[in-house]
Amino acid sequence: MTDHLLRVEGLAKTFPGRRSLADVLARRPAQPVRAVDGVSFELGPGEVLALVGESGSGKTTVGNLLMGLMAPSGGRVLLDGAEVGRLSARDLRLLRRRVQMVFQDPYESLNPRMTVREIVAEPLRVHRIGASSAELRTRVAGALTSAGLTPVDAYLARYPFELSGGQRQRIVIAAALALQPSLLIADEPVSMLDVSIRAEILNLLSALAREQGISVVMITHDLSTVAAYADRIAVMYLGRIVEYGPTRAVLAEPRHPYAQALLSVVPVPDPSLRRRPVILRGEMPDPSNIPSGCRFHPRCPLAFDRCPTVDPPLFAVGPEHAAACLLVEEPEAAAGPERRLG
Amino acid sequence: MSGRGGYLLRKIGWAVLTVFVVISFNFVLFRVLPGDPAKSGLRDPRLNPAAVEALRERFGTDKPVFIDLQADNPLDSQFTAYLGALSRADLGTSYAFRDQPVSDLIGQALVNTLWLVLPSQVLAIILGSVLGLFAAWRRGRALDVGALTFSLFMWSLPTFFLGIILLVAGAHWFGLPSAGRVTIGADYADVWEAALDIGSHLILPTLTLTLVLLGEYMLIMRSSVLDVFGEDYILTARAKGLSTYRIIRHHALRNAMLPMVTLIALNLGFTVSGAIQVEAVYSWPGLGALTVSAVADRDYPVLQGAFLLIALSVVVANLVAELIYGWLDPRVSEG
Amino acid sequence: MTAVLEATTSTTVEAPPRAWRSFLRHRMGVIGAAMLGIALLVAAFAPLLAPYDPYASVRVNILDIYQAPSATHVLGTDDGGKDVLSSLLYGARVSLVVGFSAAAIALVIGGLVGIVAGYRGGWVGSLLMRITDFFLVIPDLALQIVLVAIIGPSLGTIIFVIGALGWTTTARLVRSQTLSVRERKFVMRARAIGAGDAHILRRHILPAVLPLMLANMVLVISLAILSESTLAFLGLGDPTVISWGQMLNFAFDRGAVSAGAWWALLPPGFAIVWVVLATTLLGTALEDALNPRLKRHHLEAPGSDVARDRTVPALVPPLTEAEAPILRVRDLSIEFDVGGRSLRAVDRVSFDLRRGETLGLVGESGCGKTTTVLGILRLLPPGGRVVGGSVLFDGEDLLSLDGRALRSFRWTRLSLVFQGAMNALNPVRTVGDQIQEAIRLHAPGTSKADAALRAGELLERVGIGRRRANEYPHTYSGGMRQRAMIALALACDPDVIVADEPTTALDVMIQAQILELLGGIARDFGMGIILVTHDLGVVAQVCDRVVVMYGGVVAEENDAATLFASPQHPYTQQLLQSFPDLAHPDRPLRGIPGSPPRLDAMPSGCRFAPRCPHVFDRCVNEPPLYPAAGGRASCFLLDPAERRA
Repeated sequence: MTDHLLRVEGLAKTFPGRRSLADVLARRPAQPVRAVDGVSFELGPGEVLALVGESGSGKTTVGNLLMGLMAPSGGRVLLDGAEVGRLSARDLRLLRRRVQMVFQDPYESLNPRMTVREIVAEPLRVHRIGASSAELRTRVAGALTSAGLTPVDAYLARYPFELSGGQRQRIVIAAALALQPSLLIADEPVSMLDVSIRAEILNLLSALAREQGISVVMITHDLSTVAAYADRIAVMYLGRIVEYGPTRAVLAEPRHPYAQALLSVVPVPDPSLRRRPVILRGEMPDPSNIPSGCRFHPRCPLAFDRCPTVDPPLFAVGPEHAAACLLVEEPEAAAGPERRLG
Repeated sequence: MSGRGGYLLRKIGWAVLTVFVVISFNFVLFRVLPGDPAKSGLRDPRLNPAAVEALRERFGTDKPVFIDLQADNPLDSQFTAYLGALSRADLGTSYAFRDQPVSDLIGQALVNTLWLVLPSQVLAIILGSVLGLFAAWRRGRALDVGALTFSLFMWSLPTFFLGIILLVAGAHWFGLPSAGRVTIGADYADVWEAALDIGSHLILPTLTLTLVLLGEYMLIMRSSVLDVFGEDYILTARAKGLSTYRIIRHHALRNAMLPMVTLIALNLGFTVSGAIQVEAVYSWPGLGALTVSAVADRDYPVLQGAFLLIALSVVVANLVAELIYGWLDPRVSEG
Repeated sequence: MTAVLEATTSTTVEAPPRAWRSFLRHRMGVIGAAMLGIALLVAAFAPLLAPYDPYASVRVNILDIYQAPSATHVLGTDDGGKDVLSSLLYGARVSLVVGFSAAAIALVIGGLVGIVAGYRGGWVGSLLMRITDFFLVIPDLALQIVLVAIIGPSLGTIIFVIGALGWTTTARLVRSQTLSVRERKFVMRARAIGAGDAHILRRHILPAVLPLMLANMVLVISLAILSESTLAFLGLGDPTVISWGQMLNFAFDRGAVSAGAWWALLPPGFAIVWVVLATTLLGTALEDALNPRLKRHHLEAPGSDVARDRTVPALVPPLTEAEAPILRVRDLSIEFDVGGRSLRAVDRVSFDLRRGETLGLVGESGCGKTTTVLGILRLLPPGGRVVGGSVLFDGEDLLSLDGRALRSFRWTRLSLVFQGAMNALNPVRTVGDQIQEAIRLHAPGTSKADAALRAGELLERVGIGRRRANEYPHTYSGGMRQRAMIALALACDPDVIVADEPTTALDVMIQAQILELLGGIARDFGMGIILVTHDLGVVAQVCDRVVVMYGGVVAEENDAATLFASPQHPYTQQLLQSFPDLAHPDRPLRGIPGSPPRLDAMPSGCRFAPRCPHVFDRCVNEPPLYPAAGGRASCFLLDPAERRA
C-alpha cells in the first residue's frame, strides 16, 4: 500500500465545553473546546517527527489520539493502513503492542511499589507474551539492554526510588520496548530531567529509530531539544499544524510567522549571538474561542486585511515543506503598509 | 460574579434536594421497617374486619404508600398525606404525652438543645481555633504535644462517660446541679434568679460538650494551619518583611479557616451525637433526651419528628457553612 | 522551593519496606498495638480470667448490691450484686466483636463504593458520592437510635446498623485515594500498554488502596466500639449480653452515683477508653506510615538559621576594593540536619554582585543554588543553618541582623521572585492588595489611596494593567502571575531582586516575555538581579556574569562572554556540550554519564570526580581549591603545579 507506518488525516478532537449552572439557566450553549482541529501528517519507519507547540496547542491530545486513548471527533489515524479509531477491542489490544508511549515525568510514571523486573515485564504479562518464565526473562533483559541499562542484573530487583531520574526514564523506555513496538510516542521525554542527562535519553531514542527502525513521535514545547534529533518538525498552534517540514528547512527558513517567532525566542547558549527575538504579545487564546480566519492573526506581527477572514490551508513552500500562512500565497502583502492590520 | 451566583444556586439546590430526601427517608423509615404499633395492632386476631378498616382509615394505611395509578386520584397516598401534614407543621400527636402535638414537644426541646449546643459550639470553635493555631505554630513543642494528647483522650473518652465523671465531680466538689434545666419546684423572686438557676444548670452540660468538641476542632485547626504554613505565599510574606504576627493574622488565618469551615460542617453529626449523650446524662430536656425517652416509651410519632428535626437542622447548618465558605474563598466560582 | 530537602530525604517513597520501618518508628503505634493485644487476650480468655460467671443467674441479696472492692470482689459488685471484674472481662468480648464485625461491614461497603466511585467516575461515581454525602450529613447516632429502636436491639442489629452507617468516611478516603492513583502517570502508562481495568485494579489500584483501607478500618473499629457503648448506655444495647456501655447504663440509672459506687462506673468507662485509645493510636500510626507527608512549615520558629559560631574555615582572604559590590557573599556554608546527620548542602560559596549587574546562578537540581539564595535571604527552611561565611549587603552583614532589622531590610533592599508563582501569591487576597501591603508595611505613612495608585503603576509597568489590581490570583494565567510577582518584587524599589527559576514552568513565548520584562527592569531601575536557573540559554541571553554550581560548591565563575567562549571547568565544558543549541543544530549533543551527587553521598574529593573524564588520583582524595572571586574554576587541572606535571 504505502511505505508509511503512520498516516494521520484531518484528525480532530472536540471536547464538550463546560457550562455553569448560570449558563444553563440563561440557555447559553456550551462552547466546545476544539483541542485538535484538522491535523494531518505521515511518518515512515525509523523516522522521528517532532510535534512542537506551547501548552494549549493540542499536541498532547494528538499524542493521546495516536495511542487510541481517546476517540477522535473527526479524521482518522491509520497505522499500517488500519484505522485506529475503528478497531475492535481485540485489535486495539494488538495495536497497543505496536504503539508505545514514553511519558514526561519518570518520577511519576513508575509504580513505586513495583520492582524494575515487574515494571518491564508488565506489558508482556498484559499481552500474555512469554509463556515460559525463561522467555519472559530473556525479553525483559533484552529490553533493559536496548534501553542502555547494563548490567541487567544490577537493576532487576530494584525499586524506582533507588534509581536516578535518567535511569527511571530508561526503565520507562525499556518497558515500552519490551513489546517490540514499531512506533514510540514520547511526550516531553526529557523536560523533567537534569540538563546533563537529557542528551543521553535523546540519543537513546534517536539510536532506537536509526538502528531498530522504530518510528518516534516526539511531543515537546522545546524546539532546541529536538533540533538535533528529529527528521521533521510540525509546529502546532491552537489545534492545528501551522508549519510542517524537514527539520533543517524549518529551522533555517521558517515560513509561518508563528514558527518564526517561536524559533527566535528560543534561548541560545551563546552570549555573543545577540539575536533580535520576535516576542509575541499576549497569550494563546482559549481553544473554546478560536479566532476567525487565520487563528494566529490577532497576535501576528505580519497580519494583513485578508487574515481575519480567510483560514489558510497548508501551502507548499519547498520539498515536503508547508506553511499555513496567506503570505506564502501573497508575499507582497507584507511589504506595503497599506494592507497591514492594526 | 455569575460564578459565585452559580455556586450559591448549586449549594441551595443541593440542600433542598437533601431536605426532600431526608423527608422521604424519614417517611420510608417509619413505614417500611417493622415494629410500628399502628401496624402491628392491625394484625391482632381479636379485631373484626370493620375495626381493622376503621384503624386503617385512622392511620391512613388504607391508602397506597406512594402512588396508585389505577386509583381515581393517583396522588392521594400516604406519602402525599404525610407531606401535606408536614407542610402544616403537623407531626401527629404523641403516644406517651397524651394529646400533646409532637410539633409542640419537639419545638420546646429544640429551643432547650440550642441553649446547650450554641454556647458549647461557639466556645469550642474559638478555643479550638486558638489552641490549634498555637499548636501548629509551635509544632512539636510542649503545647503541641499537650494539645494532641488532650485531643486523643477526648476522642477516646465516650461523651457520656466524660459527662458522668464531670457530673460526679461537679456535683460533689462544686455543688453544681446535675440534672434538668431548672431546680424542680423553685420559686423565683425575679428574672435574675431564674437566669442564675438555669445558668448553673447549664454549666456542667456545656462544659462536657465544649470539651468534647474542643478536642476535635483543635485537631482540625492544627492540621489546616499546618497545611497553610507550608504554602509558598507564607514564604513570600516572610520575604516581604512581615512579622510573624502579621503573617498569621493577614495571610494564614483566613486560608486556614477555609477547611475549618468545611470540616465543622462535616462534623455537625458529631455535635449532635455529643448533644444527645450530654442531654441523656444530665436529663437536659432537649431533642436528644426526648429522642431517648421516645425510644423507651415506643413513642414513634415523637421519635419520627425529633429525628426529622435533627436531620433538617444539620442540613441547614451545613448549608450555612457552605455559604460562609463561598463568602470566604474567592475561588469558588471555579468549582 | 525545598528542592534541597527533596534531594536529601526521599520520604515521598511508598515502598512497603519503608512503610513498615516508619511504622515502627511510631512509638504510639506500637503502644496502641500492645494495648489492643492485651484487650484481645482478655476477651479470648475471659472465662479463665474471670472469678465468677457474670451470665450465671444468682439470687440477689440486698447486701450484695454495690459492695465496695474487697478480696472476694476485687472491683466490687454492681447494682445486681454481680462481680464487676468478671463482667468487665466478659464485656471485652462484646466490644471487640461489635467493633471488628461492624468495621468489617463498613470496610466492605465503603471500600466498594469508594473504589467504584473513584475508578469509574462519571455519573455512577457522582451518584455514589451524592449518596455518601447524604449519609455523611445525617447524624449517625440519631439514625442509629431510630434504626435500633425500630428493628429491635439485638447484637446482630447493632452490628448491622453501626456497620451500615459507618462506611461513609471509608468510602470518601478510598475514593480520593483511588482517584489520585487513577490519575497517576503510571496508571496512564499501564493503560497505554493496553492493560484492562481488571489488571489496573489488581496491580495498581488495590495495592495502593488496600493498606490505607486496613489502617482506616482500625479507626472505624474504634468508632464502632464507641457507638456500641453509646447505644448501650442509652438503653439500646442487647439486653441478653453484658457490655461495658450497658454496665454503665445500669450503674448510672440505678443509683451508683448517689451510692458513691465509683467501682461500678469507672472500670467499664476506662475499659472503653483503653480499647478506643488502642485502636486510635494504632490506626493513626498506620495511616501516617502508609501515607507519609513531609510537611513544610515556613513559620516554624527556627532555633536559629545562622549558627552562633560560623566555624567553617574561610578560603578567601578578605578583599579590599575601591568600589564595593552591592552584595558580597564570602565562603557561605549551609548545613541541613537530616535524620540526625548534618549534611553540607552549600560549601564555601563566594561571589560578588555589582550594582545594576545581572548574575546567573546556574546548576542542576540539588546543586545548592536555591539553598544558597535562601541562605542569603535568611529564609532557610527549618533544619537548615548557615555554618560559615558572610553575606555583606552594601557593607552590612546580613547574617548578623536581628529580627527587626532583618524585617525592615527585606523587600526594601532585596526582594524575591519565586519559582512557580502559582502558589507564591495568597489566593484569598487580591493582587493589588498584596502589593499595597508591602508598600504600606515599609512606608507606614503611605495613605491607602497612594499605595493603591503605586500598585496600579507597578501592574501597568509589568504589562498587566491597573484595572486587574482588584482581581484574585486565580483569575490570572501563569505568565500573568509571574508578572504580578515581579510587580510585587518592585513594590519597595529594592536594590537587588533574586529571581529563582522565574520562567521554569512557563511556555517559551511567555518565558521570552518575562525575560524581556526582567531585562527592562534591570535597565530602567538600575537594579541588580540574581537569576537562579538551570537553563544555560537563558543565562547566555540575559546575564552579565555567571556562577556555575555543582554539588554545593562553585565550579566556575566568570563573566558570561568568557565563560561561554572558553569554559575552564570540565563540568562547565561538558554541560555546554550537552546543552542543545539552535544556532548550531547539527552539533551532536553529548550527555554527562552518571548523575549529580546526592547530599548524603558527597564524594570526599572533587564533587565532579566520579563523572569527570579527566579525573586523576588527586581529584579523588582532596577537594580542589575554591575560586577566589575574579574568574576561576575549582579544578586541579588549572593548578600550575599540575600543568607542569
